[in-house]
Amino acid sequence: MKRQAFRTRAVFALAALLTVIVALDAAIPMVMAQSPFAGPRPPSQPEIGGIVGWLLARQSEFYREISATIRSARSDGSAVWTLMAISFAYGIFHAAGPGHGKAVISSYLVANQETARRGIVLSFASALMQALVAILIVAIGAWLLNATAKTMCGAERAIEIASYALIAAFGARLVWTKGGNFVRALQASWPEPAPAMATGGHHHRDHDHGHDHTHDHGHLHHSEDGHVHDEHSGHSHGPEPSELAGPGGWRRGLAAIAAVGLRPCSGAILVLVFSLAQGMFWAGIAATLVMAIGTAISVAIIAVLAVSARDVAQRLSNASDGTGALIMRGIEFGAAGLVLLLGSGLLFGYVVAERTTCF
Amino acid sequence: MRPRRPEVTASLRGLSLLLPFLLLGAGAAEAHPHVWITAVSELLYAPDGSLAGVRHAWTFDDMFASYALQGIETKVRGTYSREELAPLAETNVEALKEYAYFTYARADGGKKEKFSEPVDYFLDYKEGQLTLHFTLPLKTPLKAKQLSLEVYDPTFFVDFQLAKTDPVKLVSAPEGCKMAFQRPNDGSATAQTLNEQTFANGGENANYGAMFANKITVDCP
Repeated sequence: MKRQAFRTRAVFALAALLTVIVALDAAIPMVMAQSPFAGPRPPSQPEIGGIVGWLLARQSEFYREISATIRSARSDGSAVWTLMAISFAYGIFHAAGPGHGKAVISSYLVANQETARRGIVLSFASALMQALVAILIVAIGAWLLNATAKTMCGAERAIEIASYALIAAFGARLVWTKGGNFVRALQASWPEPAPAMATGGHHHRDHDHGHDHTHDHGHLHHSEDGHVHDEHSGHSHGPEPSELAGPGGWRRGLAAIAAVGLRPCSGAILVLVFSLAQGMFWAGIAATLVMAIGTAISVAIIAVLAVSARDVAQRLSNASDGTGALIMRGIEFGAAGLVLLLGSGLLFGYVVAERTTCF
Repeated sequence: MRPRRPEVTASLRGLSLLLPFLLLGAGAAEAHPHVWITAVSELLYAPDGSLAGVRHAWTFDDMFASYALQGIETKVRGTYSREELAPLAETNVEALKEYAYFTYARADGGKKEKFSEPVDYFLDYKEGQLTLHFTLPLKTPLKAKQLSLEVYDPTFFVDFQLAKTDPVKLVSAPEGCKMAFQRPNDGSATAQTLNEQTFANGGENANYGAMFANKITVDCP
């Protein structure tokens, strides 16, 4: 009994830790769109001070120094090194602040039981893709076609919408998979048959889902599970982590990179166009790539933290199989839901991300 | 172990674990400036002593200026005439509508007043600086004992700074009107006033960028 109480507390503590991590990167300056659904805001004002205020101040400083440094690099070659240093620092600070990319990647890692190593790879790949998209937009739009800001901004907007739609679709896919696992874990932990109506509903959904699932994770789960959930009781039906880490994991990882990395950072686009106007396009490209490395390091740290917190929660909750599995499936389902919420929120404008430079 | 109770509490616990995630789903935002604007504003008064509109002159930082000027054809390289910049000015003014022109006027601490579409707008490019000029007429002219005008971007993508010298002018204002302005750098003081004002307005529109607002007030007898 004492052990049980301790475990409960440990799991709660971990949940709190996870929350803090997600909160750190996602929630601090929550800026909701002015929408009829947003409702009246509480009368409290967020404070500018603290870590966020400090991060914002550093970001602004570094960013403003970038243009000055590109200018001086035209006549003074050594300024290029300063430019690289500033860009790197800007990248680190930029990613350490709030942003949808980190929230999506960390949530995905938690939802899909990814390893820390994969988290690092995904962070770097998506940051690099973001940089390449920015470079491509400016290289094609401004340098090759000499398009106006209006045209380029139109392209940025279209890409942005595509990116948000992809995040939402990706989230929906995760919710579908993880929701199924969660429902199965719930049923497994219920020792007595649920009321007939409810069972029918779940049963049907599970059945559909089972087919979908076998594609990714082999047939082991399907055959063991059968279709008669209610007779099994007291042990977990959720797939084990080893079953989930299959080829589907990488495919999904690539989808995450594409969804997040498609939308370039507005700051990178401005730096690139400015450097092009200064006749220093190569310096802008180098700065953008260095910025991406800085960003990737920050995102990777957050991703590793999220994965570790999840792993510790897993280890602690493993003590009893039914309950532990249920908790883990619940966390995964929640994280999947977060990806979907973020994607659809961004798409429909209830969550405001960094704006495109249209105006 | 008794089978039922722990299982029920476990499922509840699982659900409670979801909550923070779901709540956090509400907001993830990027909030640090990418565009810097140095603002000069004129408050235009009608002959009857009411405020008819605001005339802004917004100078962009060099990075955004290059972006805005990208792809614009010019006769002489590096110089841009008002005519050459006319289509861009049009684009800017149209786009600003979506952001309520970043200008918020209130009479005696009341509701935000509405502005009509901008008039007399143009861009000029002098000494490497791009400035957008436009006049924002109020839908209904304002007569108030205390008038406040705030210039800021609620999402703080644009950082507005009042110009160092003479950032605010009153044009044909009634005699005895006193103007004062507050820069966002005043920090806590600004946040404090906003706080009180927000309470007074029933908590509407408290937002992040408001902390970086430039606030102009005019008291008239």
